[in-house]
Amino acid sequence: MSASNRAASAHSAAAEEVFECLHLLADLIHDFARTLDVEATLRRGLKRIADQVSAEASSLFLLDEDGTAVVCRACFGPVDITGLRLPADGGIVGRSIRELETQMVRDVSKDPQFGKAVDKLTGFTTRSILCAPLGHGDLCLGAIELINKRGGGLFDERDRHLVQALASAAALAVMNAQMSAELVEQQRMRRELELAAEIQRNLLPAPRPVPFPVCGANQPARCVSGDFYDFFPLADGSVCFALGDVSGKGMNAALLMAKTASVFRCLGKEVHDPGRLIARVNAEICETVTRGMFVTMVCGVLDPSRRRVRLANAGHEPPLFRARGGRFTALPASVPPLGIAANLIPETGPPVSELELGGGTLYVFSDGVTEAWLPGGGRLGAEGLTAMIAELAGRFTSPELLRIVVDRLCPAGGEIHDDLTLVAVDGA
Amino acid sequence: MKHQLREDGATLVVTLEGDVDLDSSPEAREVLLKAVGRGRDVLVDMARITYIDSSGIASLVEALQAARLRGRRLALAAVSPAAMRVLSLARLDKVFAIHASVAEALASGG
Repeated sequence: MSASNRAASAHSAAAEEVFECLHLLADLIHDFARTLDVEATLRRGLKRIADQVSAEASSLFLLDEDGTAVVCRACFGPVDITGLRLPADGGIVGRSIRELETQMVRDVSKDPQFGKAVDKLTGFTTRSILCAPLGHGDLCLGAIELINKRGGGLFDERDRHLVQALASAAALAVMNAQMSAELVEQQRMRRELELAAEIQRNLLPAPRPVPFPVCGANQPARCVSGDFYDFFPLADGSVCFALGDVSGKGMNAALLMAKTASVFRCLGKEVHDPGRLIARVNAEICETVTRGMFVTMVCGVLDPSRRRVRLANAGHEPPLFRARGGRFTALPASVPPLGIAANLIPETGPPVSELELGGGTLYVFSDGVTEAWLPGGGRLGAEGLTAMIAELAGRFTSPELLRIVVDRLCPAGGEIHDDLTLVAVDGA
Repeated sequence: MKHQLREDGATLVVTLEGDVDLDSSPEAREVLLKAVGRGRDVLVDMARITYIDSSGIASLVEALQAARLRGRRLALAAVSPAAMRVLSLARLDKVFAIHASVAEALASGG
């Protein structure tokens, strides 16, 4: 073969190799981009990378959640080290991740950072390593490691470039897979929250056909609510009702709300004195409550025939009574909220207010209502709520009035910061 | 919310400042429980609390319960009007020892 022929042949072989590498890169990127089973794809990819650079073995290590260890998630070669966990601060893999640089170690016996433990464990003999970080921007997810050039040769610069390019593609695949897994998890949580919200809505009483003297409204700030209200008729014709507000928001408040609502409904059917009832609910809540959580609660019993309410208030925002003539009276709490200590509320219960409703209406509401932000700035306050009720009472039925108040404080599509809950008890 | 911690004799004085709401109450909780965890009486200076919601109150209640379990006292001092309104409406003035000022609380032994 002439010199020029030899040069042309070498050129053509080099061109073919570049073409092969590009083909492999395109193939792997395509595979990584569309895979649902990222580990199987990575295993296939590792075999192809090892074949392309003539390595005896290849493995992919990912950093664990706290970044202190790397775990082998896929490998190809004579020994299976999948699941192997190594400290992230040592070894060639650790160095590659730390420095975000590809490491080419042609003789591991001369590299003091080479960890011999894995060879001892597997019986495999490592001579040389080519290790590229799985980096994306400043973020490093792990590294791809290739071990021993087949036939006793050495890894070269072409191998280094190819592995670097493939590691970038693999990093994107791993990130995609992690994000999809997070998305699936988020969707699962979302579905569970929606289910919890539905169960919670069913803990609230269904509206009774008019004319029923008690009605309520609840608008959670988040998916689930820390407020509840309830009302149910008793055998003697009177109606037991309550409104409770759990400290904080979110799932922990919702769970304590569910417990309080259940305990109230169960005990309320037996204990008809609102003071004793609130004391019994307190004792039950105190047995299991955690994290300083507490429940402010108003509970009452309405005797519709005599238009009289007996009311107990444990740490709750003072309910407002609007007499028929339009005069408002606030009914402040006499004892602290439920759940703080059993001995704060005596067994006989707190003092009970007796209220002659006449033709007036009693409004009980959570602090989400009085602390709601107004569109023009500032919070509604008890004064603002009083003014709103004064404007609406008489023109609307109580269920309508409660709905209007909620709609004004939570316009369609608007955001509220706390659950809005109201109950109205009519004396008419 | 900002916080400070200082020692005054045998008492740890925790100062909470700003809004103690759903976002900041986990921080308030941690600060208060850590203070209580040191096994000393704790005084919470509430003069510069601009707003406190029920999650913030729950942090105080939890710290109070933790202090009692250790046989220690947790008291409140110089409670700002905004915080006092919440405490009195909920009758939590029956739960917490409340002092007019930090100096008065320290003089009275916490």
